[in-house]
Amino acid sequence: MNLSLVDPFVLAQDCPEALTGRLRSGHSTSIRFSHRGDLLASGRLDGIVIIFDIETSGVARKLRGHTRQVQSLSWSANDRYLLSASQDWKCVLWDLKDGSRVRTVRFEAPIFIAELHPKNHLLFVAAIFEDQPVLVDISSEIPVKRTLPSAPRRPQIERDNATEKQAAQDAKQTSTVTVFTPSGDYILAGTNKGWMNIIDTATRQVQYSTRLTNNLIIFIRTTASGRDIVVNSSDRIIRTLHLPDLTDPKLDFENMRLEVEHKFQDVVNRLSWNHVSFSSTGEYVTASTWMNHDIYVWERGHGSLVKILEGPKEELSVVEWHPHRPFVAAVGVDSGRVYLWSILTPQRWSALAPDFVEVEENVEYVEREDEFDIQPIEEIHKRRLDLEDEEVDVLTIEPVKAELEQGEFRMPVLLDIDASDSEDEVIAIGAGQFRRKSPGQGRDWMNDNEAVVSGDEQKKAATNGTAKTQNGTKRRRAE
Amino acid sequence: MDHSADRSPKRRRSEDGYEASPPRRRSISCSPSNASPQYKLAERPARRSYSRADRADDSDNDTDRRYYRDRRSSRSRSRSRRSRSPSEAHSRRSFTTPPPPKPTQLHYKQKLILRGHKKGVSAVKISPDGRRIASCSSDATIKIWDSKTGKLEHTLEGHLAGISTIAWSPDSTILASGSDDKSIRLWDVTTGQPHPVPLLGHHNYIYSIAFSPKGNMLVSGSYDEAVFLWDVRAARVMRSLPAHSDPVGGVDFVRDGTLVVSCASDGLIRVWDTATGQCLRTLVHEDNAPVTSVRFSPNGKYVLAWTLDSCIRLWNYVEGKGRCVKTYQGHVNKKYSIGGAFGEYGVPECRYAFVASGSEDNSIVLWDVSSKNVMQRLEGHSGVVLGVDTHPDEPMLVSCGLDRTVRVWRDEEDVQPE
Repeated sequence: MNLSLVDPFVLAQDCPEALTGRLRSGHSTSIRFSHRGDLLASGRLDGIVIIFDIETSGVARKLRGHTRQVQSLSWSANDRYLLSASQDWKCVLWDLKDGSRVRTVRFEAPIFIAELHPKNHLLFVAAIFEDQPVLVDISSEIPVKRTLPSAPRRPQIERDNATEKQAAQDAKQTSTVTVFTPSGDYILAGTNKGWMNIIDTATRQVQYSTRLTNNLIIFIRTTASGRDIVVNSSDRIIRTLHLPDLTDPKLDFENMRLEVEHKFQDVVNRLSWNHVSFSSTGEYVTASTWMNHDIYVWERGHGSLVKILEGPKEELSVVEWHPHRPFVAAVGVDSGRVYLWSILTPQRWSALAPDFVEVEENVEYVEREDEFDIQPIEEIHKRRLDLEDEEVDVLTIEPVKAELEQGEFRMPVLLDIDASDSEDEVIAIGAGQFRRKSPGQGRDWMNDNEAVVSGDEQKKAATNGTAKTQNGTKRRRAE
Repeated sequence: MDHSADRSPKRRRSEDGYEASPPRRRSISCSPSNASPQYKLAERPARRSYSRADRADDSDNDTDRRYYRDRRSSRSRSRSRRSRSPSEAHSRRSFTTPPPPKPTQLHYKQKLILRGHKKGVSAVKISPDGRRIASCSSDATIKIWDSKTGKLEHTLEGHLAGISTIAWSPDSTILASGSDDKSIRLWDVTTGQPHPVPLLGHHNYIYSIAFSPKGNMLVSGSYDEAVFLWDVRAARVMRSLPAHSDPVGGVDFVRDGTLVVSCASDGLIRVWDTATGQCLRTLVHEDNAPVTSVRFSPNGKYVLAWTLDSCIRLWNYVEGKGRCVKTYQGHVNKKYSIGGAFGEYGVPECRYAFVASGSEDNSIVLWDVSSKNVMQRLEGHSGVVLGVDTHPDEPMLVSCGLDRTVRVWRDEEDVQPE
């Protein structure tokens, strides 16, 4: 409801311009915004999943269950469920109502990415390291894994003339990324040989394949409408493609041809890209760069670079764009912090008093004819009260976009989250007084993680000896 | 908006007069050399979801005079859109049944007297689920009552000084209280236990608090002239709003949580952006009477403010620079910080709103929002009535005052919306 009061020049900005904040809880490795955009899930190096509240920049929930770095995160449509995939070869579906684990699915290999079906939170697709991707139905206690093909679908002519060698090569392909289209009817899969397959979710057959590159496809992301996709591949080129309406029943996959709309690359520095994502409307494409500190923002209308977001002096891995706002979050590789870029809104001085007006240059003041007339106060009051005859409606609620509907899922507010490791391992014990948290505290849930040494523990081990001397001072992190 | 109008002459001038000068760059870091021709593109008003919503909002301004929109998504589906302007109403009436005449009186009657506080009761609030009543007193206790039976459920003790304000969390499980001991405490209502970490940070008495609609934030106004936004989960100050130069009397959150309103004895009412912490609007009446209490209307489009000149004013804070649209008079308010609430009456298919407020002449006054007529004056308290609250669904009022009682009032003639 603040939009009608905000400076229209601020509202017109749709690309973030400056580093405006950071979030920290442990060492983050992957992040994902919820669909409503009020929460940010962050998977940590030690396997804990943190839910940040964007409004308060605080920790809203801690989900414990993984024992290794979290690889990917995916929200259900109502933002109640969260699927996390970790390097401990497990996928966990969390219920954020009570923080419980709804399902835990084990795999025989590390998982690249696991994505929830956009309409059914008990179905997900996962791309697995050196194996075929699987569609996992977790509606019952025992998950049902159905293998999806990775071999591209060749046109009829090529199929007829297929040599044994080619068939064998096709069979060797594996998918490196699998995502659902927003309708959930199709799965977009990228293979290690640069093919992109469109797989029907119901029949699990490849409907269409196209070779985008000769290198491995790292990541695919669609816009909210599903009509545009952005593909990151290891040949250092980001491609955007325009998809036809896949939900159209008359769509002919045999004669479909996908054209690459834009190719974004840094020709001078030959940078490769860690992660790509679309802006909320799909107008912009952002990418974080490998071995570099910058986030590139391209505009899709003309395919030109419009901005380079700078800020932290470290490489950034996952970069995500807020679902509604010009707001970008990215994870620092070294520190594990989540950096936030947004637009800057200067205070308008005219808002501070009703008779203030912002003028850019001097204006000659013209006095009103009756400005200094003295009138009886009672008369003014009476006249004013008589003017107040309009109908006033204080009850009717106008529907506003992206607002919380009644009955929609709301995550309960927990007051007892142990968030004290959010900034160093220091606990406030009084006004201005801090003490160091004792090592290992609250970690008894980790029983099989001896092999994992998280950033937190390393730090603790290094500073245990000097811990007592720290009092009331925030220690700088030793990088 | 006059702001954009103010800007346009400057825009023109800079284009005409200073063409020779190099184009201004925002900052070196933000403009990659190969990107500068694209700046126009980046800065154009975007086809973006919320600028569109904004525009829709503007164009709706004239239509909402004519129509009552869906009010509460839970109830409104069946309710027809009611016409407002006479001509429109006339044309409609020809093919729909005429709405019943607008009631001119309300019939609230005293049902319960809740006794127990040892000193004056400063505020009373009905929980959002309507099941409990919380009251706080200068005897440093909070009492939780059952709203149906009036049975005392808990007495919350822990504050070291009188309590001026309480607020329910939206899920009705947590009660927050602000006290003269400079602390804000959170209480678990089911167990009656305080949350171990109080919210500390104010340097003086706390006058007013309010929860955000999601329950993740709390806003507080204090005698120390500051308005703080709190992260409820972490019990820390998220943002301090450099609000006023006099004690802050009242604060409130708008229904979607994007705005905060605060008021102070300096006579100013300020509307703040929750996300950026910036002041978006300042409302001030010419007389600069101290503002003691402030509330958003149920739909969030108006602000209701109590001032110590025995007036309650309804402000349209969106239009222009903010405009006082109604002044409610008929009660006495010259000394105490008196609170009140919006209520609803009428038949289920067309609901009207009333304003309820306490008064220093020991009564409670109910006004119709649009006509400003006093619809009922409730007598019963034997001291100044300091707080009034309305039930979210039922025709029920609670009041509290210096006579140490909490009173429950019901209107049995009002048809209850199902």
